Amino acid sequence: MIMITRYLTQPAFLRFFSFFSCIGLASCMGGSIRPMPELSGLISQPTRSYREPALGNKWLATLVNHQGKEKIQLVDLRGKRIVGLPGLNRSDSQPISVSVSADGQRLAFVRQRADQTELLLYRRELGTLQRLEVSPKGVPRRVSLDGAGRILAVQVSRNGGWDVDVIRLSAF
Amino acid sequence: MQSNGFISSQEDPALSGDGRKLALIVDRNGRATVQLTDLRSGRVLPLRFLSRHQPHTSPSLSWNGRYLAVITQRGNRRQVVIEDLLSSRFHQFPTLHHRVPIRVSLAPDAGSLALQFAENGQWRVELIDLTGKLELDQPAGALRRTSDIRE
Repeated sequence: MIMITRYLTQPAFLRFFSFFSCIGLASCMGGSIRPMPELSGLISQPTRSYREPALGNKWLATLVNHQGKEKIQLVDLRGKRIVGLPGLNRSDSQPISVSVSADGQRLAFVRQRADQTELLLYRRELGTLQRLEVSPKGVPRRVSLDGAGRILAVQVSRNGGWDVDVIRLSAF
Repeated sequence: MQSNGFISSQEDPALSGDGRKLALIVDRNGRATVQLTDLRSGRVLPLRFLSRHQPHTSPSLSWNGRYLAVITQRGNRRQVVIEDLLSSRFHQFPTLHHRVPIRVSLAPDAGSLALQFAENGQWRVELIDLTGKLELDQPAGALRRTSDIRE
């Protein structure tokens, strides 16, 4: 059973301001940024486009566009390899947003298929794909999964505005 | 949603690894501003350094919500910044080669960062190693220092 809690912003929240400044407490990492070139071959093929990165601890999920077709890709950063996701990508759908649990076992994503925008949960250990309903009805746009893959937050278009729903996947 | 004259505008959600905190972008007086909420209490948590430099986009949280990464506007530059809510420090993160950051994702343990930017007409993603720059932020009982923070 999926328990859905709608997270509501109170107008009072919008009145909060911080008056502190960062003088003297800011640091700049500019001179010591360390890219990870040993992984670049997995996420920088010149004929492909990569967007919407989502990190687990040692996993990177991205949307990869190759020859006009976009799909979800999962990289095992420790093993330096692309992991197969059987049953996840479909030729008739367009992924919009993806998020991965800390251990790389669960992926939540939003995809457009025909005239429907769907929110789904993929479990690698089982190879299963489950559609999650958004309630009250709305159109999902962007998703974030917690580290354990048991709670997700999803941005939903609803009644002309954007809401964020928090969904607890208690029985999975 | 129209409610008390207020049109709902909550975008770009990001959960902490432990699922207890939620960062999102809200419309604050017409400015896209990151907001951090404790989901158990519903309380909005104060951010010491992130009330300016809007618009904010693409928030991302570490495991316990210690670190909040977000893309800000500083002058005419888009820039990744990280607020450390535990030590009240603020890390500015200029990108290499004047790349304009579009999306950012912080690993749950804060050991690495993924950046999306545009290059030669295509979207690119680059991984940045943060070990030695930030203390790791791991599940309770697993917190440890890998090396000193370099300022």
